[in-house]
Amino acid sequence: MQTLTIALAQIAPRLGQLDENLARHHALIEEARGRGAGLVVFPELGLTGYLLQDLAAEVAMRLDDPRLAGLAAATADLSVIVSFVEESADHRLFIAAALLEDGRIRHVHRKLFLPTYGLFDERRFFAAGDLLRATPSRLGPGIGIAICEDFWHLTVPQLLALDGAQILVNVSSSPGRDLASTNEVGLGTATSWRTLMRTYAQLTTSVVVFCNRVGVDESISFWGGSEVIAPSGQPLFTAPMFEEGLFTVEVPIADLRRERLALPLLRDERPELQVRELSRIVAERAGLARDTTADDFAEPGLDVAPGDPVRAPIGFQPGARR
Amino acid sequence: MTVPTTAGPGGAGKPAALFELPPELAIDTDVARQVIGPFIRGQLRQAGFERAVVGLSGGIDSALVAYLVAEAIGAERLLCVLMPYRTSSPDSRADAEEVVRRLGATSEVVDISPMVDAFFPDGLEASPLRRGNFMARQRMAVLYDRSVTWAGLVVGTGNKTETLIGYTTLFGDSACAFNPIGDLYKSQVRQLAAAIGVPEAIIRKAPSADLWPGQTDEDEAGFTYPVLDRLLFWRVDKRRSDEEMAGLGFDPALVARVDRMIATSEFKRQVPPIAKLGPRTAGVDYLYPRRRPGSSRG
Repeated sequence: MQTLTIALAQIAPRLGQLDENLARHHALIEEARGRGAGLVVFPELGLTGYLLQDLAAEVAMRLDDPRLAGLAAATADLSVIVSFVEESADHRLFIAAALLEDGRIRHVHRKLFLPTYGLFDERRFFAAGDLLRATPSRLGPGIGIAICEDFWHLTVPQLLALDGAQILVNVSSSPGRDLASTNEVGLGTATSWRTLMRTYAQLTTSVVVFCNRVGVDESISFWGGSEVIAPSGQPLFTAPMFEEGLFTVEVPIADLRRERLALPLLRDERPELQVRELSRIVAERAGLARDTTADDFAEPGLDVAPGDPVRAPIGFQPGARR
Repeated sequence: MTVPTTAGPGGAGKPAALFELPPELAIDTDVARQVIGPFIRGQLRQAGFERAVVGLSGGIDSALVAYLVAEAIGAERLLCVLMPYRTSSPDSRADAEEVVRRLGATSEVVDISPMVDAFFPDGLEASPLRRGNFMARQRMAVLYDRSVTWAGLVVGTGNKTETLIGYTTLFGDSACAFNPIGDLYKSQVRQLAAAIGVPEAIIRKAPSADLWPGQTDEDEAGFTYPVLDRLLFWRVDKRRSDEEMAGLGFDPALVARVDRMIATSEFKRQVPPIAKLGPRTAGVDYLYPRRRPGSSRG
């Protein structure tokens, strides 16, 4: 496959109206198919809306839900990423995104990082996922799915790339805020996201796909601005802010090979070094190993000895150790 | 994208800018309108309404809201209600009528003097505070009645500056179905008003609660909006400490005074607490979107 057509469904889901949103998904999948799309991406919680609060339990679906099966059935010769509230067998609620391909559910990603600060309150209503896996796809290149806040943690795009993903897909419900004329596009959130996505595409030499919703839930307006970024870090397409639409983007997949040969960052990556150093840090934080960057006489898991002022930069004092 | 280089259309060579705009408060007015338009339509749609009611005082806040609503849903769906008291400034009335004329919206004048005077027959003895609060609540009562007859939602017109310092009447001017400008400081209201075409006379004049002749907000409070807006921006939005505020050039006594105003008025910005007794309590552990599937509208 030399060119992949990606369709970004930058929609405004109706809050809590699962049936209505489901019908919209079916219609847009058919429209995208008609426009030659190979991959169709819907935003985070596109099937339910974002600010659900206690409604989350009422719109949750098990993976064997006939409504999901119905969506999957619409994906013959097509790859579609949809997002919804998933209820597990033990009745935990997850913000989930599923890759549907050729009539079945190919992969499910449960949101790993649930922001619970500022205007966010996700941890109150949802459980956090525990697994991060790239998935093979009928498209050829592996796909890595992440949901919104997952991409505010460096490890997520990197682990997905190391696990074989060449197309990183982030589905989002990003609320617009920090309105100021000093920002590149007048909105602090948009400026931050654009910086992140270009950086991840470049550092993982992957195609980055960002599908962000629009519309309003209560006080919050979602800013859209969905994008596809080439493995060079150059944007291939940027959708307008705040406008609904189904946007198709031609992505030259052959660029992945060219970029990874020219810039073999992933080849040179040192996962074993990370494992070693992370194991050390985890052990030190748990007090299971001496913290090489802490004060002498600091308690396990603490960098500074209580009541003992720091006399020199932490971790670099010469002299005797405990 | 619209980024201001000067405050207002004056520009180089013209001495008087329309208003003073502290640079850190400058917003991209195009983006603001892109957010607020869908916000207004979304609030109405979610509630099952197509029309809106705005109380027009003749001041900049309500004028801006009328323009924003007209831009979002069309002036034909907007009812502007003018609610003067007998001592209200005739200029305010004229300015409000000019907004109605330019927008081509439907309007109605409801004189609140009989309602207020019937309640305060000893008018001269009641304090301006009592009278002002009562007037604000009479206007609220009129707007909510017109909400029924016009079949529209009442749109709030309070700005972020007055909300933070508590310069509002609880269940009076702060009462509304939703508020499109409540997160904009007065300086930003002026910037957006200039961008959307609110008459210059309204942008230029001194803000006033118009509770007695000649009253202005800034005289009453003892500081100007650009100073107060900057102070609130650094203190509230940017979480600056006492030392950092002093470093930015703010008078520590003024910072302390504004801190007190914010703290004292906290209750005005929150839903009244309900005594927790049962298993699920509204606002505590019964948390739903304001409109949801199953409601009769929608």
